[in-house]
Amino acid sequence: MAHLMIWALVLAVFWLLLSGFFKTLLLSFGLISVVLVVFLIRRMDTTDNQPQKLPLSFSFFRYVIWLLGQIALSSLEVTKLVWGSSKKLSPAIAKLPVANTPEKTRVLYANSITLTPGTLSVDIDEEHVTVHALDAQSIKSLEAGEMATKVSSVTGAKN
Amino acid sequence: MILETLSTLFLVLGAFFSFTGVIGLFKFPDFFTRVHAASVTDSIATILIIFGLILRTDFGLVAVKLLFILIFMLLTSPTASHALAKSARHGGLLTLAETRAPKKEDND
Repeated sequence: MAHLMIWALVLAVFWLLLSGFFKTLLLSFGLISVVLVVFLIRRMDTTDNQPQKLPLSFSFFRYVIWLLGQIALSSLEVTKLVWGSSKKLSPAIAKLPVANTPEKTRVLYANSITLTPGTLSVDIDEEHVTVHALDAQSIKSLEAGEMATKVSSVTGAKN
Repeated sequence: MILETLSTLFLVLGAFFSFTGVIGLFKFPDFFTRVHAASVTDSIATILIIFGLILRTDFGLVAVKLLFILIFMLLTSPTASHALAKSARHGGLLTLAETRAPKKEDND
């Protein structure tokens, strides 16, 4: 029940930030929308037994900051490859194990991999993420597992 | 004044990274490497341009809306790249590493 209250609060703030009007008519439209959405979330939670919580923890924001740093670094790498000689390319493909992790963790992991330039998650199933990399080196650094540990610590804390 | 200079710097850098993405899109040899080139435009160029634009607002509702756009882009663009790459893979397109060494194995 508590996470529904958080949803209602977040949705109300979202509506106010998007509209910026404080007239009675528009506020009541917002109220109706929020109530409708929360009602739907509650119905879906009871249908699929997977309560959808918002990732509003401190560690999640720290992860996002870290990810932005990684994006900047690897963008520079890819930029170097683009402007340099194309013979330096060493595209590689590998399967990384993601067994025994919850679905949400896998999704965040695969999305982070794709979001970082130079690595691309090609396929994802119950046990593996297939990753294509522009440079064989970046596969190695993914296999070292820094991102995997960070992702699982972010989502694992709440589950 | 400082904000404006900083914003100009961000916008120019963003434009440069967009351009890099385009060059890479033409220059790289096969489909999967080209997706990588396009992801430079998707990620760092978007971030820089949106932050450059935020610095030019009066940090009110417009800045918040720009941030929402950024979050939306950062959620959807990797999903789109993944959908493209996955369908290419399932359609049987081989990566460059596999066509160079075709005997090694045939994983799906």
